[in-house]
Amino acid sequence: MKWPVMQSPVLQWPGMKWLVAVVAAPVIFGAFVAARGVEPLSMYRDMLTSLVDPAQAETVLVRFAVLLLAGLAVAVPARAGLLNVGGEGQIVAGAVGAAGIGLLTDRHLPGGAVLALMVPAAMLAGAAWAGLAALLRIGVQVNEAISTLLLNFLAVDLMLGLIYAPWKDASGFGQPSSRPLPGTARLPLLANTTVNAGIVLALAALAAVWWALNRTAWGFRLRVVGGNPEAARRAGLRVGPLLLGAMLAGGALAGLAGLLHFAGTEFKLRPGMTTGFGYVGFLASWLALHRPLRVAAAALLLAAIAMAGDSLQIDAGLPAASVNVLMAVVLLVALGTRWKAKETAA
Amino acid sequence: MRRLLIPAAALALLAACSTNTGATPAAAEGSAPGAGSTKIGFIFVGPKDDYGYNQAAYQGSQAVAKAYPGLEVLTAENVPEDDNATRIMEGMIRKGAKIIFATSYGHKDPALKVAAAHPDVVVVQQGNIVDGTMPANFGTYFGTVYEPVYLAGIVAGKTTKTGKLGYVYAFPISQTLDNINAFELGAKSVNPQAKTYVVNTSNWCDPAKQAEAAKSLLAQGVDVISQHQDCTATVIRATEAAGAYSVGYHADASALAPKGWLTGSQWNWDPLYVKIVKTALDGRFSGSEFNANYRVGYKTGDNPFVQSPYGPAVGAETKALVDAAKARIGKDGSPFLGPVADQSGQVRIAAGTVPDYKTIEAIDYFVDGVVGKIPAS
Amino acid sequence: MSLVIDVATGAVRGGTSILFVALGETIAERAGVVNLGAEGSMLTGALAAYAVTAETGDPLLGAAAGAAAGALLALVHAVLVLSRGANQLANGLVVLFLGLGLTSLFGAAYVGRSITTFEPYAVPLLSDIPVLGPVLFDHDPLTYASYLVAPAMWWLLYRSRWGLALRAAGERPEVLRTYGRSPLLVRYLAVVAGGLLAGIGGAQLSTAYANAWFENMTAGRGFIAVSLVIFAAWHPLRAVAGAYLFGAALALSPALQARGIGLNQFVLDALPYLVTLIALVVLGRRRGNTAPESLAKVFDMTGRST
Repeated sequence: MKWPVMQSPVLQWPGMKWLVAVVAAPVIFGAFVAARGVEPLSMYRDMLTSLVDPAQAETVLVRFAVLLLAGLAVAVPARAGLLNVGGEGQIVAGAVGAAGIGLLTDRHLPGGAVLALMVPAAMLAGAAWAGLAALLRIGVQVNEAISTLLLNFLAVDLMLGLIYAPWKDASGFGQPSSRPLPGTARLPLLANTTVNAGIVLALAALAAVWWALNRTAWGFRLRVVGGNPEAARRAGLRVGPLLLGAMLAGGALAGLAGLLHFAGTEFKLRPGMTTGFGYVGFLASWLALHRPLRVAAAALLLAAIAMAGDSLQIDAGLPAASVNVLMAVVLLVALGTRWKAKETAA
Repeated sequence: MRRLLIPAAALALLAACSTNTGATPAAAEGSAPGAGSTKIGFIFVGPKDDYGYNQAAYQGSQAVAKAYPGLEVLTAENVPEDDNATRIMEGMIRKGAKIIFATSYGHKDPALKVAAAHPDVVVVQQGNIVDGTMPANFGTYFGTVYEPVYLAGIVAGKTTKTGKLGYVYAFPISQTLDNINAFELGAKSVNPQAKTYVVNTSNWCDPAKQAEAAKSLLAQGVDVISQHQDCTATVIRATEAAGAYSVGYHADASALAPKGWLTGSQWNWDPLYVKIVKTALDGRFSGSEFNANYRVGYKTGDNPFVQSPYGPAVGAETKALVDAAKARIGKDGSPFLGPVADQSGQVRIAAGTVPDYKTIEAIDYFVDGVVGKIPAS
Repeated sequence: MSLVIDVATGAVRGGTSILFVALGETIAERAGVVNLGAEGSMLTGALAAYAVTAETGDPLLGAAAGAAAGALLALVHAVLVLSRGANQLANGLVVLFLGLGLTSLFGAAYVGRSITTFEPYAVPLLSDIPVLGPVLFDHDPLTYASYLVAPAMWWLLYRSRWGLALRAAGERPEVLRTYGRSPLLVRYLAVVAGGLLAGIGGAQLSTAYANAWFENMTAGRGFIAVSLVIFAAWHPLRAVAGAYLFGAALALSPALQARGIGLNQFVLDALPYLVTLIALVVLGRRRGNTAPESLAKVFDMTGRST
């Protein structure tokens, strides 16, 4: 299907798709909510007003930190040509790892020490979950996109199995959840805000990923493997370990996202605690063509859209999930206006 | 390694920062919590028209709006029992609400976070319990749900031909265990052969799981089914289609089961909600009866959980038994009047003992006559 | 014995919606397009079927609407992926979110609405056969329809010119082109047909099985279907076996509980995914070879084999 009009120079301007996304997405979503009898203009005013409010803006930053890590968890393996659809499961694994260490140590160690142990535990757990997929890929050629997707569901079932039985909070009146993390072991809040220190971890991870991918030999090798593995092999690169490393790094980043949500926001494992962060992170990474700094921008945008959903609930009386329409339309426009131009160029 | 070191250093720097309670830091202390509020917020875990738990709570919020036309009532549906709930409540408070109703069992933790952060806001939570010190601006409220469920159990016990009753439930929370136990105790009080078979769905509303649960029970010869789910239509329809009897929960669903509807329990929150709001608006909340784990039952007053109308299959003899039981509970206070034995036969509530609601809501076992296990215990 | 019959009956009852989605995804993937948005098509199908049934009183019209809605959402995927070059996996997830959002927005009005549902119909004579009768022949009309769709699809794929074109679109599009057929058109049709079947699966869920509409009521069944397609190695008849196997995993827990036997249900919930993963490991190489050629490229960002 050829759309000649799309070839005109104005439309080929790189910023065009963002312009389209910014204009088209709200119009389309506005039409949908209007069909539900909600006045779109006042809805958007309420949404923007809610985001400008410092308290809600802080919640955007909290969500941004999690989505940034979830996005980087996709971006790093993508550099090596690996599709990590398993951020969701690796986030859950990270949260489970953190909670496990927390439950084990929080009655014996000071809070700071518990937290200091939980960070590597979460990263290890996330890396292990991603590593399973990497080993299956390298060992028996199971495609990692499929295996990471399947591992998402297994991770959630594992968590549910734990909080229904061995880790169930005895004083939770039967509600399936783990015992809450003591206050001292939680991620502390930044001065006078509700933003937890997770954002510092996330930004540090961003800097580390950017540096590793763009300034180290490892990052260069990953790119070679991602570009043409046969050539990489002929050039003497050990492809297997590189792929494994990229996947482990991605899993560790997702695990860290799990820690942020667990030790920064939820403090308990409970059913449905990560609904969709991994998938949204996957989309953030694709939106950003897997470039670390752009992943941050995409994560911020998607976090803002998600938090604007609160206003839909409170002000417009719409179900919170309807904000997914807005997010999806933005992404559809952005995804659909990119590769075509690239293909024409190639 | 470097990736670990930088954040570790940053964390050390942050050690002096404030503790993460999961909510906005406390505002300045002011007048009595909730006093003179112009807005009031309600959050529901499900949709406000689920013909069940959430719809009943929503109707209560509309009764408040009617009683106080000057008050703006903010509502939010489908609020999950996690950080989302905290944010939505915070958002309502930012809009000026000084009274918040968190109406789902699992909203307790978020509600406590919000209450701790806003001493000037009254936060009340529906159905859960606060163990230990009650914050001055917090309270839980509920009906003694198991009382009308016990009465429905009597009807079920008199109706069943196979002696097998079924109960579909979501989570093994104490409220639900109380209901299942009361249902079985009620049935057994009139039919010593009656057993209650339980199936859980691990979800407040997953219609497909409910359908399979109901059909599994029916295939086992169960001929009366009750449930503790937020949305109730699926189980009732499946039961009616199989020609079995339904005992409702949350709402009068007799229209869905014209033949098999027996009775059920349903909410009437209107008077209680209005009373709580009035107490808060007048600045009398702290120290009031609502600044506690407030429970009303047949003995203490008007239970907000009332019996649903009878269906055509219930005869006069059964109705008389129910009336007698209701009078008995109103007098000696509990469907859990001892002796009550658990599944292993061990007596857990001694003969003649009338347990208080705290004891009842701490029950973590099935009584003798319930067939099934509490998941993974 | 009664446990076996109950679980088998439950497997058919609960597996049918998954089967429809899996058959649809099989068509799409045979043509070389993965649609992770199948869950979204299923969900929109479930709502559209429920809503139209509520408005018209006719579940058959509802099922048609469900099919149309599922197809429409899949068309969004097809346009973006086939004509705009979007990544299939990423775009599938976007379509899923779109389906979630739209059904949440427009579904609220139908929560708790009462409808005329598809009623189970015991086929005379056949339903009297011991064991097989109750297991297979006491279901709703859509379940019977699925008995016909699966073999019809097998015939279509392996015995008809259409099937040849479809498989060629997934394996060797350039060959198709030399025969003067458009692989693009074939893929469009395949993706849309896939969404159509997923929509019928959703309709079966909301108007024949659960008889209710609720936000996100598919609860991951579409994803089960997608993993099932891989498990079944893109074969429609193996998909039938797989769907009933997965249906059995869902039916076993309530059937055991109703007999007073408790077990950690999450082990059972995890079973479909675990079985698929194990199948991939054991049959890894062989499965990889049965995968449609263009599909392998989707999963492989660089087109390399390691």
